[in-house]
Amino acid sequence: MSFTLTCPICGPRNAYEFGYGGEDKGPRPDEKDLSPGDWCDYVHMNRCIAGESKEWWIHRSGCGIWFTTSRDTTCNLEVRGKAEEKDANPPLEKE
Amino acid sequence: MNRIDPLETFRIQPSQKISIQYGRKSYEGVAGDTIAGLLYGNGIRVFSRSLKYHRPRGLYSLDGECSNTMMRVDGMPNVRTENTPARNGMKVTAQNVAGKTADTDPMAFMDKLGFAMPAGFYYRTLHKPAKMWPVAIKKIRKAAGLGVMDPDFRIEGYFDEIYPTADVCVVGGGPAGMTAALAAAAPGLRVILMENRPWLGGVFDYRPAAYEGDLPLYQRAAHLARKIEETPNIRVFTHTAVVGNYNDNLVTAFQRGNETDPFDERYIEIRARSIVVATGCIERPLLFENNDRPGVMQVGCAHRLARTWGLLPGRQAVFSIGDDLGLEAAADLSDLGLEIACVADTRMDGQDETLIDALSRRNIPVYRGWIAYKAHGAKQVKKVTIGPLAGVQRQDIECDLLVASAGLTPLTGLLSTRQVELLFDRHTGFFLPAGLPDGIHTAGRMLGFQDSVKIEISGQLAGMEAAADCGFNAPGEIDSIKVRINAFPGPALGSKIVSAPVKGKKTFICFDEDTTLKNIDQAMADGFDVPELIKRYTSAGTGPGQGGIPGHNLPLYVAQTQQSPDQAPRSTTVRAPLIPTLMATYAGTQHDMCKRTALHDSQVASGGKMERVGVWTRARRFAEDTKALAEIKNVRHNVGMLDASTLGKFRIHGPDALKALQRVYVSDMDKIVDGRVKYSAMCNEDGCIIDDGVVLKQGENDYYFTTSTGRAGQTVEWIRYHTRYDHWDFNIVNLTDACGVINLAGPNARKVLEKVTTADVSNEAFPFVGWRDLTLADCIPARTMRLGFVGELSYEFHVPASYTQTLWNILEAAGKELGIQNFGLEAQNGLRLEKGHLIIGSESEQRTTLHDVGLGFLWDRKPDANTVGAVALTQTEHQKDRLKLVGIKMADASAAAPKDGSAIVDTKFQGYICTARFSEALNEPIGMALVKDALAEPGTELNIYEDSCNGQLLKAIVAKMPFYDSDGSRMKM
Ligand SMILES: [Zn+2]
Repeated sequence: MSFTLTCPICGPRNAYEFGYGGEDKGPRPDEKDLSPGDWCDYVHMNRCIAGESKEWWIHRSGCGIWFTTSRDTTCNLEVRGKAEEKDANPPLEKE
Repeated sequence: MNRIDPLETFRIQPSQKISIQYGRKSYEGVAGDTIAGLLYGNGIRVFSRSLKYHRPRGLYSLDGECSNTMMRVDGMPNVRTENTPARNGMKVTAQNVAGKTADTDPMAFMDKLGFAMPAGFYYRTLHKPAKMWPVAIKKIRKAAGLGVMDPDFRIEGYFDEIYPTADVCVVGGGPAGMTAALAAAAPGLRVILMENRPWLGGVFDYRPAAYEGDLPLYQRAAHLARKIEETPNIRVFTHTAVVGNYNDNLVTAFQRGNETDPFDERYIEIRARSIVVATGCIERPLLFENNDRPGVMQVGCAHRLARTWGLLPGRQAVFSIGDDLGLEAAADLSDLGLEIACVADTRMDGQDETLIDALSRRNIPVYRGWIAYKAHGAKQVKKVTIGPLAGVQRQDIECDLLVASAGLTPLTGLLSTRQVELLFDRHTGFFLPAGLPDGIHTAGRMLGFQDSVKIEISGQLAGMEAAADCGFNAPGEIDSIKVRINAFPGPALGSKIVSAPVKGKKTFICFDEDTTLKNIDQAMADGFDVPELIKRYTSAGTGPGQGGIPGHNLPLYVAQTQQSPDQAPRSTTVRAPLIPTLMATYAGTQHDMCKRTALHDSQVASGGKMERVGVWTRARRFAEDTKALAEIKNVRHNVGMLDASTLGKFRIHGPDALKALQRVYVSDMDKIVDGRVKYSAMCNEDGCIIDDGVVLKQGENDYYFTTSTGRAGQTVEWIRYHTRYDHWDFNIVNLTDACGVINLAGPNARKVLEKVTTADVSNEAFPFVGWRDLTLADCIPARTMRLGFVGELSYEFHVPASYTQTLWNILEAAGKELGIQNFGLEAQNGLRLEKGHLIIGSESEQRTTLHDVGLGFLWDRKPDANTVGAVALTQTEHQKDRLKLVGIKMADASAAAPKDGSAIVDTKFQGYICTARFSEALNEPIGMALVKDALAEPGTELNIYEDSCNGQLLKAIVAKMPFYDSDGSRMKM
């Protein structure tokens, strides 16, 4: 991991200071009447976008904050300045 | 040894003699010599034998582009002796030869068998019949490779790593790099300048040609180097090979230390805001028959041998070149005493006429459009055949040196590793960047510039552009510099000739892998048309030189041979590390880092057998007995002490602290009783158990909790992650390293405690699962909990880390008359096993749910807490066909305990043994196992397959837990 990420508190830092927290899928779905399948999808299924993906990262070896940022997965570069404007990744399409 | 008279360009101290041992003999040189240079000065011409054909190989370039001069130095294989400084007393031997020097080699007959090994030989021939392959592998492995690894060899030295910070990183310490560094440093930016050679100067360093007026280039280089030295915000790394360039300007390099450096080699990693690549050019090899013969060398090699090291490369020379640098070197070397028969220049025109004049003044004929066809001589050049590229005229000239070079090729590896597209430029014949990512600039000769002043100004421009990346923009100055650059003539027309028109059987495009032009022709005949694939098929450029020799010639040759004029040459792929690097350098100094508790030294002094447990070093046991039965017995019948400081310890407080606990713990933390701890567990989203520990409430919105040792590092992160959408107001502090923990356990534990406190610690005043903040020995604040992990009366003292050793000593003194003893992890493991208390990770794995380990009772359904794992716990509550945690005993009580991890089987896998030990209390082996629920009923017989059981399955029976003190009365006494 050779790229940099921008911590909202500490600024741009080496990626190996950070821990990955998965794609941003939005808050947990309402638990009532959740089928095991839907729950499993929320927990385990990812969009694996080839392109710009909004993700959770933690500044593990730094200030410890969890934050979201966008990363272009095709070149492993942070897409700067867009994280705030973008909503969570759209939900998975059901087949 | 004959050195020429001292020159201003020397990098040696001729008066300071050194000697090294090569083979069985000792050779003398001077301080500043490279190993290969020293040997060359002593008349050594054959430095190695080639990989496949065992052809003699000599000094060809001086910057490590090929494996020709790789030798074993002081036990280390594959040392590039051509750019490794010689040190007094070094022991050097040749590689890939049967003897100790490369001069004679019994395997030399391999050269005659070349016809039998076409391209792709191994891939195509040795697979049929299939059973041939294993035999062939052995033979190939024996024959292949250059240096030999001695399994007993231990690398000596100190290998460091540094991570300096820079605004601008300039790669290449030649004229363009130096002017770039100075320009970038001008506004005060922090600049790092890295140079592969041990000194700055690049291609200016050794040349007496005029820079401006009478000022020779080498004096100009020295002037720039002095200015660099005087600029405090430029940090220079010489003898530093830059080997990688990654996203967001991460530059990796390694530096070789000299005798006064505190390191032998060190890894350097820099994250720069802007990079200037000014790596210049290397020479593109000229191909002809026997172009690899010792005595054939590149222009820069010959020129630098004389100018830098005072070694005249030969007596009688022929030049076959394709660039003005060759003409310049011929004139200068002639002045230094080299007899030059003639200069063949592959170019018909375009030469700098002042250089042609200079040569004619020295009576050296220049043949335009001529090239070397063949080098003669068995081990060393004795004669050269030259002739016009077009035409049948041939001329043989006796000589001992053939200076051969097709032209220049830019060093673009640092751009390739950043996925910069390189396009063939038909004018220069170079692969040039099609566009650069933000924050990268190029300068100097690698762009095809020839004029020395233009090269410098291009560096200045790149340095200013790099400064602009860092916020110091000077648009006016940048524009005027651009105008100045454009006033110079454009890049010179580059020669694209690769090879004399020869058959190519003994024409080597790659020295490292012994790849001939004939091999390339075969690959194309086999249908390969892309240079990168031909490289794979023929191995050309895959050796230690990393494409330094064939990197440019291969695509040129392929494009020219295929004769498809619309198709420009396509470059092969260059990958990091651009220069092979020692593993020791990447490994650095800190190979094993661990944490020690505050009690570490006293645990060791008490005879603790220490071992790594996760990030910690802990005492496994204190006696030789691996079962630690004496320690177990002492806890069961008397009293013992354990260093439990590695336990995770946390404070969480704030208005939303309780909500956060409710989110991650399965139990209802609203029901914590004052003065009592609550045991609970954490699950992941799958309902699988990941941690257990106790929680206590120490004040309003203020809690203290423990986690298992292994989870201590991740807990803060875990809680913050699972509350990340909530914007709750709480703070969490990891106290793991700030507090030590001592566990005092055994039926006599209260007697010890009573001696060190005046507080009422009777069973009524301080009952089981209670906690109190006690003051021990009138001075030490100790959060004290009554817990029962080992199944006896037990106190856990949480104290500030700095007090832990003092408290330990006080307790030890207080318990002395009772016979208090240490116990370690092994005893704790046996004790808790008898109680059926689990350790997460031992009695659970990734798929084990809270229900599976029988802790489902901890789970409180909290309607609005959104507890992590609760959905899965609901969904899996009655799930069938899962592995459940059970106790086991052996059918034969006198049998040994099965090994941890052994499989439980019938016709298929039914589970496995988690932990099994001989039980001191029961006097028989007991254990815990995860087995399919169908086999989980007490009394069920289990078959255990243990490693090395020879098919004899062990018999065990599912038993009720706990094995010991089933009503827990001993913990509560
Ligand atoms: Zn931060």
